[in-house]
This record gives sequence, C-alpha cells and structure tokens, in this order.
Amino acid sequence: MIDSPTLPQGASNVTSSPSPLAGLRQRLSGRWLFATLLLAGGAVLSLLVLAPLYSLLSKSVENKDGDFVGLANFAHYLSSGGIESAFVNSLWVAALSTVIVVFLAFMAAWALTRTRLPLTGWVRGVLVLPILAPSLLPAISLVYLFGNQGVLKSWLFGAEIYGPIGIIMGSCFWTFPHALMILLTAMDNADGRHYEAATALKASPWRTFWTVTVPGARYGLVSAAFVVFTLVITDFGVPKVIGGQFDVLATDIYKQVIGQQRFEMGAVVSVLLLLPAMLAFVADRYVQRKQSASFTARSVPYKPSHNRRRDAFGALMLAPTVVFILTIIGMAVYASFVTFWPYNLELSLNNYQFGRMDGGGWGAYLNSLQMALGTMVLGTALVFFNAWLVERTPQPKLLTGVFQMLSLLPLAVPGLVLGLSYIFFFNHPDNPLNVIYGSLLILVLCTVSHFYAVSHLTAITALKQLDQEFEAVGESLKASRWRVLFTVTLPLCLPAILDVALYLFVNAMTTVSAVVFLYGHDTQLASVAVLAMDEAGDIAPAAAMAILITLTCAGAKLIQSGLRLWVDRSTRAWRQGAE
Amino acid sequence: MNQTTQGSRLEIQGVNKFFGDFCALENIDLTIEPGELVCFLGPSGCGKTTLLRIIAGLEQQSAGQLSQGDVDISLKPPRDRDFGIVFQSYALFPNMTVSDNIAYGLRSIGMAKARIRSRVDELLTVIGLEDHARKYPAQLSGGQQQRVALARALAPSPGLLLLDEPLSALDAQVRHHLRSEIRNLQKQLGVTTIMVTHDQEEALAMADRVVVMNNGVIEQVGTPLEIYQQPASAFVASFIGAMNFIDSAAVNGQRVRVGSRELELVRPMPESQDCVRLAIRPEDVHLLPAGDGDWEGQVESMDYLGAFIRTHIRLADLERLLVVDVDPRSARQLNLANGASVCLQLPSDALHCFAA
Repeated sequence: MIDSPTLPQGASNVTSSPSPLAGLRQRLSGRWLFATLLLAGGAVLSLLVLAPLYSLLSKSVENKDGDFVGLANFAHYLSSGGIESAFVNSLWVAALSTVIVVFLAFMAAWALTRTRLPLTGWVRGVLVLPILAPSLLPAISLVYLFGNQGVLKSWLFGAEIYGPIGIIMGSCFWTFPHALMILLTAMDNADGRHYEAATALKASPWRTFWTVTVPGARYGLVSAAFVVFTLVITDFGVPKVIGGQFDVLATDIYKQVIGQQRFEMGAVVSVLLLLPAMLAFVADRYVQRKQSASFTARSVPYKPSHNRRRDAFGALMLAPTVVFILTIIGMAVYASFVTFWPYNLELSLNNYQFGRMDGGGWGAYLNSLQMALGTMVLGTALVFFNAWLVERTPQPKLLTGVFQMLSLLPLAVPGLVLGLSYIFFFNHPDNPLNVIYGSLLILVLCTVSHFYAVSHLTAITALKQLDQEFEAVGESLKASRWRVLFTVTLPLCLPAILDVALYLFVNAMTTVSAVVFLYGHDTQLASVAVLAMDEAGDIAPAAAMAILITLTCAGAKLIQSGLRLWVDRSTRAWRQGAE
Repeated sequence: MNQTTQGSRLEIQGVNKFFGDFCALENIDLTIEPGELVCFLGPSGCGKTTLLRIIAGLEQQSAGQLSQGDVDISLKPPRDRDFGIVFQSYALFPNMTVSDNIAYGLRSIGMAKARIRSRVDELLTVIGLEDHARKYPAQLSGGQQQRVALARALAPSPGLLLLDEPLSALDAQVRHHLRSEIRNLQKQLGVTTIMVTHDQEEALAMADRVVVMNNGVIEQVGTPLEIYQQPASAFVASFIGAMNFIDSAAVNGQRVRVGSRELELVRPMPESQDCVRLAIRPEDVHLLPAGDGDWEGQVESMDYLGAFIRTHIRLADLERLLVVDVDPRSARQLNLANGASVCLQLPSDALHCFAA
C-alpha cells in the first residue's frame, strides 16, 4: 500500500536516475511522509472503532467463559422472546417517530424558506434549541407534564405516558433539529428560475409545491428520514427514563449488561441494534451518491413573494412545534426550581445542591466539562489533520478510500454499541491499552470516535472549497505543504474549525449512550448523573442537572458565535471585498 | 525594471503520460529556447495542460526526460525546480494582502526583510498596483488579480514562467489589454515562458512559437505566421482560423480534379494518393463579377461580421457551400446579395493539399 506513493505509475521507465540521497530526502518530505501519516491516522481510527467492534462481534458468539458457541447466544435471545418485544418495539417506535419528525421538520423548513414570515431568525433559534439538551431532558419534562402527577395528565385520556407515547414524544423533541437542519440546507438553495418557470406555465401553488418544492428537497427528505430513524432506534436516554415496562433494544442492552452482568447477551443485542443502523447508513450513502448539485453558479436564489394566505399557513405549521419545544424546555426549567413537586411549589435552588444526591454531584459536572473540552481539542485537531491529509496532500487512491470508509463508519455505530465494544476491547486483560480503562482519557477517545464522522464531513467540505492549486503554487514558490497549511489553509478554515469544535463540545456534554458503560469511580459525568438521579427517584435534581448541561452548551454556543463573529469581522476585507 | 532574468532553455525528450490505459501524451519532443514565449494550443483534452504540469513537476511523466539549462529535472519535485506558475484561477491566497502574496515565495527562500520589501515594491510598480499593496485579492478586479498572480510568480526571478490559461477568466476587453502587457513584461524580463491556451487568437497574438497539440501528440510547431499560412496537417488547418475543405481526385503530382475542372497546385501533394483534400482560407478566394470567369456560383447567405462579410456560395461542382470572406467595399462593387450570381477563382498559391 505504501509502495505506490513513492514512484508514480510507470516512473520506473524514466531513464535518468537521481542520486540515492536526493531520493531519500524527496521521500521524507514528499509523498512517503504524507502517506505514512495518513496510514497512522487510519491505524488510530481502526484502534478506536474497528478493533472494539471486532471484540464485540466475537463476544456475541462466545459464552461466559470465552468459548466459541456459534449463534447459540442469538438462539437463546430469540427463544426468550427478545426479538418479538424489544426488536419489533424499537422498529415501530423509530419508524413512527421518523414519520412525525420528518413531516414536522419539512413543514417548518418550508415555512422558514418559502414564506415571508417575520422573526424567522428567532424561530430558527428556538427550533434548534433541543440540540443543546441531553436526550434525557425531554423525557424528564414529559414525566412532569403527563406523568402520574403531571399537570396535563388528563390530556392523554387515560393513556400512559410511560411507554411508546412518551418515547415517541421525547424522541421527536430531540431529533427534530437534526432533521430540520438537513432540510433547511436542502431547501435554502432553491433556484428561483424553477418557480418562475412553473408560474409561467400556469401551475397552481399546489402543483408547484408537488412538482418543484418537494422534488428539490427529496434527497434532504431521504437523508433526514435515515438520520432520525438511526438516532431514535439507537437512543437510550429517552426510553430509559420514560419507557416504563416497554422494552426497546437500547434499554435491553443496558439491562443485560448493567442489570444482569450478562455481557455476551449485551453483545448479542448490540449486534441486533447494529443491523438496522448499518442498513440505514448504507442506504443513505447510496442515495446521497446519486445526488448532484442542482444549484449551480447560474441559479438565481428564490425570493418568496408576498402572499398573506401562504404566510398564515406557514405560521400554522410552525406554531405547534415551537410551542411544543418551548413547553418541554420551560417545564424542565420550572421543575428544576420547584422545591417539592407537587406539594410545595415554592421556587428554590434546592435541586441544584447536587452534593446531597447520588450521581456524583458537582464533581460529575466538572468531569463532564473536562471531558467535553478534551474531546473538543483532541477531536478537532485529529479530525482536521486527517481531513487535510486526505484532501490536500498527494495520497494513493486506495489509502484515501479505506480512510474515508473508516471515518464514516462511526455514523453507523450506535453509542451504546460503541461503549460496550470499548469494555470488551479496552478492559481485556491482555490489551496493553487497558491502563486507560476507567480514566477520563477513554471517555474522551470514545466520544471523539462516536462523533468522528460528522466532524470529518464538515472538515472535508471546508477543505474541498479551497482553490485546488494552493499547494501547487506553494511548491512553485518553494514553500512546503506545512507552510501552506499554517499560513493559508488553517486561517481559511477557521469558521469550519469553530463549527467542529462546538459540535464536539456539545455532543460530549450531552451524550449518555456511549459513556454510560465507561465512566469510572472518579470519572462520573453530568449526563450520567442525570440518569442516576432519575433512577434513584430524584427527578427534580435530575431536571436541574439536565438544565445545567443545556445552559453550559448554550454558553458554549454563545462563545462560539462570538468567536465566529470576530473572525468574520476581522476577515471581512478578504472574504467579500470592501469596495 | 532594472533587473533582467536570464531565461533558461528547456528540453523535453520522449515524454509519455498514461492515465491507466488512456494515453494523454505520446512521445513529446520539444526544445524551448531561452527567453522564448511558447504557446501550447489545442482543444480541451489534447494534453496541453498535462504537459505543462509535467514541466512543473506537479504531474509525473510515465516515460521521458526533461532538462532545464544543464540540469536534468525529470525526477525533481516541483520545489526543487526553477519556475513560477500562474493558474487560471490565479490561486491567490485570499487571506493575505497583495504585498504578502507577492512576498510569499521570497520568504520561502529566506530573503532579508529589507530586500523583500524593495523587491515587492519593484514588482508592484511593474504591474502598476502600487496603490493597492495593502488590499486583499477579493478587493481587486479580475485583471488586477491576474497581475498580482503574475507578480507573485515572477518575484523569485524564476528561469521559467508557466501560464495555465491565464486570461480565460477575464472579460474580452481586459483580456486584450493584458495580452500585450504580459508580452511586453515577458520580453523585458527575458524569462522563458510557456503559456497554455485554447484561444487561437491569443496564441497567434502573443507567441514567438506555437505548439499545436491534438490527442496527446504535437501536430505542428512554428511561428504564428507559419502555423497560419503553412498548416502541417488538416487538423491544424481547420483548428487555426477558418478553412474550406474540398475533396478532390489527384490527376498527377501537380494537378487535381474538382468536379469537372482541373486545378494546378504550387505546393507539393501528399505522395501516392488518389484522393486529396484541398483547403483554402475564406479570405484567399477571389470573387469576380458574374460573367468575368468560368466558375460561377450563387450566393446562399451573407453574415455581416463588421470588418468583413462572410459569404456562403453554392457551386455546381461542390456538395458543400464555399465560405468566402469579402470586405464591404468589394461586396458593393460585386453587387453581392442573397441569390446573386458571382464568379470565383481559387489561386494556386493559396491552395493547401492534405491527405484525404
């Protein structure tokens, strides 16, 4: 694999021969060095994703003592009825949530891009708020709203919130922004010419909607559907808090591993969870490959015309979602300040005195902060360096292909599955790396791997947008690729770097699924503390901690926005030209 | 500019380039003399840009040798070669000012700060952008950006300047102006220059010699005049300027038959051919008033192109319409109009003859 970069194809035919020393120097500074670096990057990713997954797969076909038993574990799970209950439950809950979220998100995206409603900036802000909260927050909030002592219990007409209804409502809350952002991207760049053509051909608004708007967003719709489905089916926080007796795969893994210490059965369920996630991933990749840019340099951006009725319809479509999101967050905030629900509704800060409860208290919060900062710094550096190697240095095709696959793989691996894989791999007595087990470092590494794929795609997109000839110009001006990297590439990618950093920080703060298996005695995390307090019946402090996490993420977002604004200001001159 | 760079001589021998099974360049031999401006001209996909990138070391040849001056550069990475390059996109560093862009290559070689400053000032004067030193590329017009890219490439005084479609991103007017500006600067500096272009007018106007390429091979190397007046192949004849082609039968070494008449050739005919393709440029056809000659045709259509009128004439002996360029005054004298009859002559010394 490393042979190809040294001498390009057919170069052996070249008759002149360089001195051996010059050749060596050329290899060290040129293709060899970069290929070796990318190979190292690939090795690190393999160690962090591929090797643990392999441990998990092999664990699923072993018994407790580590002997190979073939598919016996799967047969056992099947006969215990796990397939009928958890697997089927997971599928239909995820499918129904997907339908609801994609519909609402599409209507919201339509209203935000195709009407002239005022305050759309604020509405967008509200609609993406859930991304800053851990997925446990909507579940806790729903307990307060519709639970046994909930304020709106009567609205359910006797139905139980603990079960599929709660899971679906909670899932819809936290996956909504993911779908919305994909659809907004798909619909923001509409070509106004298509709409003008439809009008000129006397198409009704209804027909225009179905023949122009929907087809233009179809890849976004498909992508959003796959993303939401995967997020819901692999989520553990919502069903854990509000699922009650309703089994889904994600909670089943947790029960098998934490409750019953049956690791091999946990591995079996993980493999079952991996299947639909992998399938969705492959299907999404397949669809995306068919997508070609319909918005070209010749397109004219679409500007919605004045239309009262359409604006009113848009507002009608947005209102329920906005109200739902604000209610969920408002309820959690309120509950976190109520002294003793529902008997003493006086507001106090009692629930924020985490020292008095289980779950690790303020220490857990500080651990989370450290972990998130570590993930942010290490992850951003790793992601950008590897993406730079892939995109801006000469690499053999095979190597970049393998690396691309490796870096997208985490997208298909549910957090719980990754976390469990880490136990099997890093806690193995024969693994020299087991010293990091139980440390903050393993939490950082696991989280970086968990969220690697999206960060990688962002970095690749940013690097692709730069002029392809920068490095060639640098070479002709006797500047190394490194100098071009630091003086040109990095400054130009600063906005994308800030985006990736925030993405990693927020996800590290809010994630539960991967880390719930990995934290040690000294490395309790805030998001896990929410879970622990909820399990112990301290729901109000759990709400308080969830709010604290959300506030921290909001703070990070504010800082990041400030930095971006500063970058934009200080680089305005070279970005758009002042004249 | 007080300093003249001594341009270097470039020798290309037997260069081949394959992309998989596709042969992008086949046995290219070419010598470029010091101080020369040579244009690589050809349709897209003819291999001209690949050849330029091989000269720069950005692409590695599959076989063959290159030497610059006395140095064999066949295997050298771009950084160890001596050239400056300007791309079609300019690839100016958008986060650096005009001065910093120009100084970039000087900083690479560790030139003293004071010398960098004076060299940058000198180049700014040359390109006439003294007042824009502190601006960023995005604040400049396309033509100004192009000049900055040129100054950046020239700053380290390279022996060889490579221009990859440097003018094609510009408006027609700016393009014409920059053409002569680049040419003058190049002459003044004496830097050996290779320019890749698909615009024949640009190549003819600027180059000392033009290298016409097609399908990975060199079709012809020559001065603009040679290329235009003595095209070496039917491809060159049709690619450069406009050309009428007439299929005809060879009678003997000096005569060919077109329809019912025989024409005398001045130029030699391709050997041992029964059929040949005669070629004549539209401006070389003589038109005479109807009745003044024995070869008569009808005007089918006329396109007014400003300085001349492109006339399409139907001849009884020919399948295809003959294209003739006439200046407006002659057109008036001949009473040219759609459907009018006219007589014509094909002067022997303007007739080219290619293998069919």
